[in-house]
Amino acid sequence: MRLFSLTFAVLLAALILSVVLGAVWISPVSVLQIITDALPGVELSEVWSAAHAAIVLDIRLPHAILIALTGAALAGSGAAYQGLFRNPLADPYLIGVASGAGLGAVAAMAIHWPTELWNLYLIPAAAFLGAMLTIWLVYQLAKVRNIVPLTTLILAGVAVGSFASALTSFLMLRSDAQIYRAISFLLGGSPLTGWDPVLAVLPYVILGLGSLIFFGHPLNVLQFGEEQAKQMGVSVERVKIYVIVIASLTTAAAVAFSGVIGFVGLIVPHLFRLLGGPDYRKLIPLSIIGGAAALLLADMLARVLLAPSSLPVGIVTALAGAPFFLWILRRAKREVFW
Amino acid sequence: MKSVQVKELCLAYDGFQVVKGVDFTVAPGEVLGLIGPNGAGKSTLIRALSGVLPIQSGEVWVDGTDLGTLSDSQRARLIAVVPQAEPLGGAYTVRQAVMMGRTPYMNWMGNPGPRDQAFVKRALEFASLADLAGRRIAELSGGEQQRVLLARALAQDTPILLLDEPTSHLDLQHQINLLSLVRRLAKENHLAVLLAMHDLNGVSLCADRVALLVDGRLVALGAPDEVLTAENIAAAYRAQVEIIAHPRYGTPLVLPLQD
Repeated sequence: MRLFSLTFAVLLAALILSVVLGAVWISPVSVLQIITDALPGVELSEVWSAAHAAIVLDIRLPHAILIALTGAALAGSGAAYQGLFRNPLADPYLIGVASGAGLGAVAAMAIHWPTELWNLYLIPAAAFLGAMLTIWLVYQLAKVRNIVPLTTLILAGVAVGSFASALTSFLMLRSDAQIYRAISFLLGGSPLTGWDPVLAVLPYVILGLGSLIFFGHPLNVLQFGEEQAKQMGVSVERVKIYVIVIASLTTAAAVAFSGVIGFVGLIVPHLFRLLGGPDYRKLIPLSIIGGAAALLLADMLARVLLAPSSLPVGIVTALAGAPFFLWILRRAKREVFW
Repeated sequence: MKSVQVKELCLAYDGFQVVKGVDFTVAPGEVLGLIGPNGAGKSTLIRALSGVLPIQSGEVWVDGTDLGTLSDSQRARLIAVVPQAEPLGGAYTVRQAVMMGRTPYMNWMGNPGPRDQAFVKRALEFASLADLAGRRIAELSGGEQQRVLLARALAQDTPILLLDEPTSHLDLQHQINLLSLVRRLAKENHLAVLLAMHDLNGVSLCADRVALLVDGRLVALGAPDEVLTAENIAAAYRAQVEIIAHPRYGTPLVLPLQD
């Protein structure tokens, strides 16, 4: 429980700091007052400027929440994938979902839509479609009779993922305009701002992560192998399908609205396995909260490092994530986590 | 009523016939020893009885119900398995692992109730693991890990227990302990036990009846002294043995002869 409260405290601090930080200085106190005032039924005497309120409420707060939701979605589904595949390297990339979503989004960007509004809704929809097509394809390829062995699933995922990435590169080389935007998207630069993407992604993330939490116990039992799990009464095939579809949908939603962001889904569950043990009933919720906090921190770094211009957050997660991953690898050699 | 009733059972992997028409029963309170050379189909049989491998043809009845009609959790409330030891789930503690045996009685959140706690406590004591309950499985010896698998199966609280080579990693003391534990479970708790094992003398001491499986067929089924004969062993294992009676219990002892 202490780990939960601590992680939650870090998330809250990161959320506030993320709104405070920016080109225009707005004090934490003002930020809290502006947010409190905006809550329904609360009326504070205004001691802040309308411009500050607009910056906080229309730009920084929705951005921070979108980032937090993305981090939560990636880390939560990452934890579920790792448990399902009993593989410390399992993440949305391994089974090709993220690459499929990326391909869908870039394909939509390569087309010249009549208005900017079309872009806003069609790119996420295309990312979503790409992810679902990828899962379907990977699943069909990996299926041996009516069972999907994890080894063939991962092999199919890597192959389809590489294929999708190659197609994405091809599209980017062929398309004249929009290419900067596509690159920025693939590096995890959120193409969308304001409350629209937040409201659009919210139902998927809440539904997806809300149901993944219920798979903690079956995933625990699954760590003893599919056969033993079945002998202990877990309907292994059903659990596998549910977790893959739910985690992939959640990932696709995150990718669609925030771009392709690596390493969060890999590192955060690892970190919490180190801190809190292998029990997926705790690990998944901890990864959700921790993932939100971690991506907020990475996003702040991305905005601060080259201020006033900002980096795509995916570059920061990769730069910070890779060395961290190597450190985990070194530790894992000495201790048994799996 | 028989706890396990197997009729004309055929099993196959990828179209390759492994078990070819096997009939036997296991009654409550009975230990049936399953012996046979490598590749005879012992593990395949256990995988099928535990619902992991689909049945090709034939019937399996457990507690009067067709095995195929049971859901995974219904089946897991009737049949528990002590699998061949594999190093899995090493990061969990002994108590966590044994608690997973309660899965068929718990909801998807896996929150244990007082009944689950009581069964786990009893299973840990039965397998003399109470002192190791807080240790991680990866830190235990092979023999201790095998006892964890036994305790987990006991926590599952089933009328039927299937064991696949449960003594393969155990030293003599723990072999004897485990086999007498299994026998006590059958006699005191009226469990129907199917015990697949290579150690013929262990089976002879522990089992009420012995089934000899060769190349997917049952070639002998009966009391240990009926099945464990020099002729049967020679035919099944292509090895010359002499059978003598155990000086204390009179059960058959298999002594290998040099060629």
